[in-house]
Amino acid sequence: MPTHAGTPLIEASGLTRVYHRPRTSLTRPGEPVHALRGVSLTIRKGERFGIVGESGSGKSTLLRLLCALDRPTAGSIRFDGREITGLPERRLRFLRHSLQIVFQDPMSSLDPRMRVRDLVAEPLVALGEPVGDRVTELLDAVGLPATAAGRYPHQFSGGQRQRIAIARALAPRPKVLVADEPVSALDVSVRGQILNLLADLVDELGLTLVFVSHDLSVVRHVCETVAVMNDGEIVETGAVDDVWAEPRHAYTRTLLQAVPTLEGFR
Amino acid sequence: MLSVEGLTVAADGVELVHDVSFTIAPGERVGLIGESGSGKSLTALSLMGLLPEGVTATGAARLHDRDLVGVPEKRLKDLRGSELAMVFQEPMTALNPLMRVGAQVAEVMTLHGVPRDRARARAAELLGRVRLPHPEQVARAYPHQLSGGQRQRVMLAIALANGPDLLICDEPTTALDVTVQKQMLDLIAEVAPALLFITHDLAVVASVCERVLVMYGGRVVESGPIREVFTRPRHRYTEGLLAASKLTPRGTRLPTIAGSVPAAGTFPGGCVFRNRCPHADTTCEQAPALTGEGHAHACWHPADRG
Repeated sequence: MPTHAGTPLIEASGLTRVYHRPRTSLTRPGEPVHALRGVSLTIRKGERFGIVGESGSGKSTLLRLLCALDRPTAGSIRFDGREITGLPERRLRFLRHSLQIVFQDPMSSLDPRMRVRDLVAEPLVALGEPVGDRVTELLDAVGLPATAAGRYPHQFSGGQRQRIAIARALAPRPKVLVADEPVSALDVSVRGQILNLLADLVDELGLTLVFVSHDLSVVRHVCETVAVMNDGEIVETGAVDDVWAEPRHAYTRTLLQAVPTLEGFR
Repeated sequence: MLSVEGLTVAADGVELVHDVSFTIAPGERVGLIGESGSGKSLTALSLMGLLPEGVTATGAARLHDRDLVGVPEKRLKDLRGSELAMVFQEPMTALNPLMRVGAQVAEVMTLHGVPRDRARARAAELLGRVRLPHPEQVARAYPHQLSGGQRQRVMLAIALANGPDLLICDEPTTALDVTVQKQMLDLIAEVAPALLFITHDLAVVASVCERVLVMYGGRVVESGPIREVFTRPRHRYTEGLLAASKLTPRGTRLPTIAGSVPAAGTFPGGCVFRNRCPHADTTCEQAPALTGEGHAHACWHPADRG
């Protein structure tokens, strides 16, 4: 398994993002919200990188910046050696090709009025690439029958919908797959199927995985490296097994203790 | 204290909950676990008399000696919010966005005959009891000014307002962060008189309850003391669910249950789990009964006899 030997693929340094609350007074500007306070990280080729944090920790803001869906207030992000901050959308095509996202809730990330065929092909169409047999190939890769192509998202269960979202993300043959809480909305009996599928695809296709979750135990199963976020900062980062066994930061310890477990029921 | 006998919930001739029976003693904390579509929320709603239009419950449910199923709304109104109360999953939709939270806590008391000024004073006291800092200030806030965890505490204060005998919680912590969830679970375990706790998360049940009912396809498939059910599951569904909940080390395959939960009304006849069960055979076309004292299960080929 590739570990830290890979070359850096995503390098972020000093990322800061300040939002402004709507103003409440005529004379003063709205209160600033420091969503990210100087975050730096390096994700290497072939690495499975986990980002853990609670709501308000800044993990979603960080994700939006890494995917160039938002611009940082300060700091830079280099993808495969190329600076991506401040680039206009028309010059981000290489990134849209190389990096794709799977969102938490497939019910809201898949357009309910599009057939599965069109949903999966959409990233290709948007990039102006031939679709060909790619849809059938992708559906097969995520374990869905070819007949699924003619149906609509609501005709599938939550787990199947997440498979559709994964197929769609893989359509342009990305190098990096970003998964934002991909199993949080799923039933336990289905969660394992999706995590197994992700692991298989990452192995087979040699993908780099960025996996965001609030649950450190899920990250521990999926990733080799983890960054723990709290209050807009990365408070601890390292090999996930080390962080799990010996958390150094007080917040990581709190987080670990709060996770309900079935330990003691074995 | 609470006894449920043969509770069946149906809509348009489709049975969504089938022949559910259980009891809860005073002070007891019972978990009801199941995945989406298992009928766990409908079971709770039928006890509260809050089933949606077109969905009807039959069978018997008694709190002390008062019937809960098949009685007119007028009688239920007296019980609901006073002797039995419920905390819902999503506090943002359960709370009134246009009303200050203190008034919402007081309202449930005035509705049950507490004088207005006493209700208001007691509201602040209750908000303190659910460990909200500065309860007088919080009482003047609107729901949108509070965090998810704080809102859920307000919901709990409302539920506890009239000193109910039974508290029903439907996924009260699913929308919360883990650190907030832990505080909330500790609080519920501390203040609940008797508890029916509904969740899909086995680990959460393990940290709050003493006894557990496992539901699948609208039926209770296994029940018993938590420790026994979780260490020696008998039903194959419980076994699969437990295996799937334990995250194995990286690089290994996670154990899964084949297929997915069927849509309502499309569960197989006989044993409801047989289309996903690796041990199913022709015997399973007959519905197994829930048998066993204490630790009961409804399975023809139960696991772990040792």
